[in-house]
Amino acid sequence: MNSTAQRLLPLMALGLLLALAVQLGAVSIQAVDWLRPPWGDEAATGSSYVLWQLRLPRLLLAASVGAALGLAGALSQALFRNPMADPGLLGVTSGAAAAVALTLTVFASAQFALPPAWRIWLLPAVGFVGALGVCFALNRLARWLAPGSIAALLLSGLAIQALTFAVVGLCSYLANDEQLRAISFWTLGSLAGANWTMAVVMGVVLAAMAALGLRLAPRLNALALGEAAAAHVGVDVQRLRGLAIAAVALLSALAVAWCGSIGFIGLMAPHLARQLVGADQRDVLPSSMLAGALLLVLADTLARTLAVPAEIPVGIFSALIGAPWFLFLLRGALRRMGTV
Amino acid sequence: MSSALLNLHGATLKLGPLRLGPFDLRLQAGERVAILGPSGAGKSSLLKLIAGEHPMAAGSISLDGQPLPQWRPAALAQRRAVLPQTSGVAFGLPVELVVSLGRVAREGDPQQRAIVREALILARADHLAARRFDSLSGGEQARVQLARVFAQLWDIRQGLLLVDEPLAALDPGLALELMDAMQRFATERGHALLAVLHDLNMALNHFERLWMVADGRIFADCDAVPAALPLLEQLYGVRLRLLRDAEGLAVLPSPRPLQRAAA
Repeated sequence: MNSTAQRLLPLMALGLLLALAVQLGAVSIQAVDWLRPPWGDEAATGSSYVLWQLRLPRLLLAASVGAALGLAGALSQALFRNPMADPGLLGVTSGAAAAVALTLTVFASAQFALPPAWRIWLLPAVGFVGALGVCFALNRLARWLAPGSIAALLLSGLAIQALTFAVVGLCSYLANDEQLRAISFWTLGSLAGANWTMAVVMGVVLAAMAALGLRLAPRLNALALGEAAAAHVGVDVQRLRGLAIAAVALLSALAVAWCGSIGFIGLMAPHLARQLVGADQRDVLPSSMLAGALLLVLADTLARTLAVPAEIPVGIFSALIGAPWFLFLLRGALRRMGTV
Repeated sequence: MSSALLNLHGATLKLGPLRLGPFDLRLQAGERVAILGPSGAGKSSLLKLIAGEHPMAAGSISLDGQPLPQWRPAALAQRRAVLPQTSGVAFGLPVELVVSLGRVAREGDPQQRAIVREALILARADHLAARRFDSLSGGEQARVQLARVFAQLWDIRQGLLLVDEPLAALDPGLALELMDAMQRFATERGHALLAVLHDLNMALNHFERLWMVADGRIFADCDAVPAALPLLEQLYGVRLRLLRDAEGLAVLPSPRPLQRAAA
């Protein structure tokens, strides 16, 4: 299960996909465009502008957002000891969405209190607070209802989602036309607004959270024994949970703040990873990031090339693949345990 | 006498309306003690209290003279290991990884692989090393969890091993083998062994002292043989016959019932 080829295969697939995806689109890219980066002396022509200012940042953002969603999914599954956990299904993403919708409409004037350069950070910051709130609420709720039960966890997530949808609904009702468009962009999810700042910030946060995740991986494995047994082998469970929750909230908030909510990647990526490399978190975490990047780059490439020159919101694709996948996983879980 | 390995002083447990204790108990280094009592008497709760799984309502418990809450988790894991009654493992981790989790508090441990191997052999589970934990039968899972606990206390001395019904899912031959393995493991390293048991014969043959629990209190704290027999009759409310030969002893419950112990 751990041959080098098996580990390198997804990495190569991602490289190949990126190389292919950069060529696809409404404007065709020539080899010479690669030689005209925007910081060079020559002024960027049409196709080199598309390459350097639109396509590359978008691909890199897609890869890093996909990896972030994959990592957030893997971490929340380890945290809740539950292969069905996913920040989207659990309402963490919609917690961020509700906070963002509130900021876009009810507190819209707050945006103008900030200097323009800071506004790009407002939505991620607000989203982080919303996601973190849901994570902690869920953590308490699921343990209060029925510890270890898949059903209790998913149903708590459902209740929280209903609550956040009500908030989003209220915001849409109160919104003017422009705000309504911003909210609908948000709920559908799209990478069309990508720029270099987003790609670089996402990449840096992803690298930091990946390093944290890998450091936590052995203790996350111990958590699979159950919380009591993990404490008995010397894991500070409270601290571990706190760190993992903060990482999940940060990753999902940042991922959705700029691109809107893109569902199911966090569910599918760790599942693919476990199929490929086994259940050891030290392997699952990096592989989930790779699988998440692969899935989102693929979905986004489809989203922007299928209906050229128009574009389909990528969240629609991930849900079209993800929802049946979820049902398939649920069937497996039900078969294994008899009941949830 | 503060030289004891484990010291319970007025330790009291509250579980909803239920109140267990206060327990005043002492366990010496290297001692083997079995916790006995009827179902629902509070045996497992007492063990969980010592394991730190239930919060204490009053009193104190100290290990090596230091109160339990003052131990750092990683340091405590290198003195005390706990084998719970039932325990699943999420995600179908491989057996070898499950056993190595016993040593997760020691980062960068060069001997880990060798110790995991030895622990699996001692728990008669080395043939399962490459399997997924969730594909094992109940008895096989019990052996792997036992190996995990062995690995945790493998290279230290005078530790404390807490086990809750470790042999319940095993057939008699294997139960005896694993009891021997546990006893040898503890004796060689000077570990104290504290076990919740249902099997009286196992308790009388392999343990030096008995803590008898009835209605959430200690009913008796006595040597295993021979003092225990009349007390055991009271504890379980049955008449017991003692059969003995060169290899060991056995008690047989006989049909005439006695009055149950009232604590």
